[in-house]
Amino acid sequence: MIDYKAMINGVAVISLAGMALPGAASAEDFSIWVRSDGSEFMPRLVEAFNAESEHHANLQIVPVDELVQKYAIAAAGGSAPDALSLDVVFNPAFASVGQLRDMTDFAHSLPYFDSLSKAHLEVGSWEGKNYGLPFSGDASLLIWNKDLFEKAGLDPEDAPDSWAEIEKDAEAVSALGDNTYGFYFSGNCGGCNIFTFTPLIWASGGDIFQHNGRTATLDSDEVAAAVEFYRGMVQKGLVPEGARTDTGTNFFGAFANGNIGIAPSGSFAIGALNNQYPDLNYGVTYLPGSQAGEWSSFAGGDNIVISAATDESKIPAIEDFIRFAYSPEGQTILARNGAMPVRSDVAEQALAGLDERYLISVKAMAGGSTPYSVVFNDLINSRNGPWITALNEAFFANSAEQARQALEQGQQEMQSIIDAAY
Amino acid sequence: MPDVQSHPLPSAAPTPRRRRRRGWHGLLYTLPALALVVVFFLIPLGMTVWMSLHNWPLLGNARWIGLANYTRLWNDASFWNALLFTAQYTIVSTIGLLGLALALALMVQHQGRATGLYRTVWFLPVVTGFASASLLWAWLSNVDAGLFSPLAQRIGLTEGRFNLLADFDTAFWSVTVMVVWKMAGFYMIILMSGLQAIPGDYQEAARIDGASALQRFLWITVPLIRQPFALALIMCVAGSMLAFDQFYIILNGGPRNQTVTAVYKIFNESFVSFRLGYGAALSVILLLILMVLSIIQLRLLRDRGES
Repeated sequence: MIDYKAMINGVAVISLAGMALPGAASAEDFSIWVRSDGSEFMPRLVEAFNAESEHHANLQIVPVDELVQKYAIAAAGGSAPDALSLDVVFNPAFASVGQLRDMTDFAHSLPYFDSLSKAHLEVGSWEGKNYGLPFSGDASLLIWNKDLFEKAGLDPEDAPDSWAEIEKDAEAVSALGDNTYGFYFSGNCGGCNIFTFTPLIWASGGDIFQHNGRTATLDSDEVAAAVEFYRGMVQKGLVPEGARTDTGTNFFGAFANGNIGIAPSGSFAIGALNNQYPDLNYGVTYLPGSQAGEWSSFAGGDNIVISAATDESKIPAIEDFIRFAYSPEGQTILARNGAMPVRSDVAEQALAGLDERYLISVKAMAGGSTPYSVVFNDLINSRNGPWITALNEAFFANSAEQARQALEQGQQEMQSIIDAAY
Repeated sequence: MPDVQSHPLPSAAPTPRRRRRRGWHGLLYTLPALALVVVFFLIPLGMTVWMSLHNWPLLGNARWIGLANYTRLWNDASFWNALLFTAQYTIVSTIGLLGLALALALMVQHQGRATGLYRTVWFLPVVTGFASASLLWAWLSNVDAGLFSPLAQRIGLTEGRFNLLADFDTAFWSVTVMVVWKMAGFYMIILMSGLQAIPGDYQEAARIDGASALQRFLWITVPLIRQPFALALIMCVAGSMLAFDQFYIILNGGPRNQTVTAVYKIFNESFVSFRLGYGAALSVILLLILMVLSIIQLRLLRDRGES
């Protein structure tokens, strides 16, 4: 027998309880995903939030190469996470297919909205609305080995600040011989080169996209000039042979081994080098343009986004979490665990007491850019995409003419992929 | 290979009624296997065909586009290039694999003092996964930190460091050698079991009649291992046509995308460019090509005595 009476009473009690506390937000559970790159800072941030808040965030860490696929499968099955810390480069693609919730009103309600990373916000917007807010930062930088500089008779404290100076210093370090090379870059890695090579182009006034990613400009003079800079160093033997086939596996390791004078890298390397290679004596500076004084950076990292299908009742909890992440406490947790703060008005406070090289990263990110494309994966990250295919051929071409042809070919392929997407 | 054909029991010919009941039993016994085939093969196959008729992005909504994926595929030079490369790789690797496997099988077919050891040694690489073998090879071939290039330089074969993976020819051969090293032992076992099934009397009789070793190999061994050879050939061709891991892990499809295989292309379309529908259409075409290839091989290698 089912006791209907008891059931009805029970329902009445529950609804009474609900009425007794009008307006009080109930505690909510929500799920949040992060790519494995965030496995240092994110668990600590979520833990601190859960300890303080009435709400509860359930964190899941997803392998970086599978995040988009996993999310898509979960979304198709109706079990997408409520919130997601999403690599900024995928934000346009997710927003353009209606997968994300419009966060414009919430964003503008934040009193410190103007201090949030501009580059993150730009890439998080679609048709004038915000579909992603800055969450964690990662900036690209140039690093140099001070010990090798000293051995080569260079001033170890003098950061190279133009292409000509990089090349001159690299020649001096290469002259040391004995498997020591002046410069290293991952010559067959699309992701590494969008991160560290495009800033050279941006700093010199060029770009690889125009019109919000609708036009590719890989055949522009500024791109060709930056390619010539790398190609020149390859031709002079300043770069180890392995760079040509490095698909990113050695992006960090090559410099860390201690036989490379200068390498483009990112803010992530500061924490990693300090922890894993405490004896390596290195400096950090901006990625320069062709002339001294010019510089730029790739403002990377994650945006926080909310799935379009997320239940309305969970939104206040997620917004609380975002506010917590933006608080000085949240930004400090980020900064101490390998990510850059994304709120510039509390960045110095968050970084207080940390390696001062981080401050350069924060400034680099504030002045950096992020490329905008709804087909980013296809064009840039793909190991067989037009970006890295063209660059690899051009970097290691035997003549400037050959390099130019490779770029023109890449330009055509990029434009045809972009055209097919719109 | 276990004989999967059902033979009627030699004892007492079954009555018609008993035969009917046996038929029912047979169906009952095969049901679990049938269910597996339906759930894990037929339904996914049907879904693949269904998806191939849509514009099916990884994120967002699918849209019916009829045969547009197939017309696009017809004009997609990169797919046909990938297929051409896969065919080239299949021919080279099949010749290498089966040639070496036959030679190894001939060496270890008889019982002898060290044959057990040799069989084990040659079979060992087979138990390595393709991904781990590829990672191992990627490291060995690394120009700065690996083995081959520094070794070649040290013993004076090359003047400086030679990057094996930077040129198509050396990269292609390097991967093919890895595959032969890894898989030859597997086909050796198949061919060896075929060799051992040849009755010793045939060889002995031929020897008494004065046939040379070469004649015995050509006119006794070769015709009698036709069936295991056909099995090895079909598995080898199908496996090579589906090659992916080694080119993805060691070469990333490079240099200059010249080693992108058919499956690699499908992977790229589906999970890098997020065009699942188009990837499905490519899969359907590859499946048809594989079916045709297998039928041709079966016909070529069928025993002439069979009708």
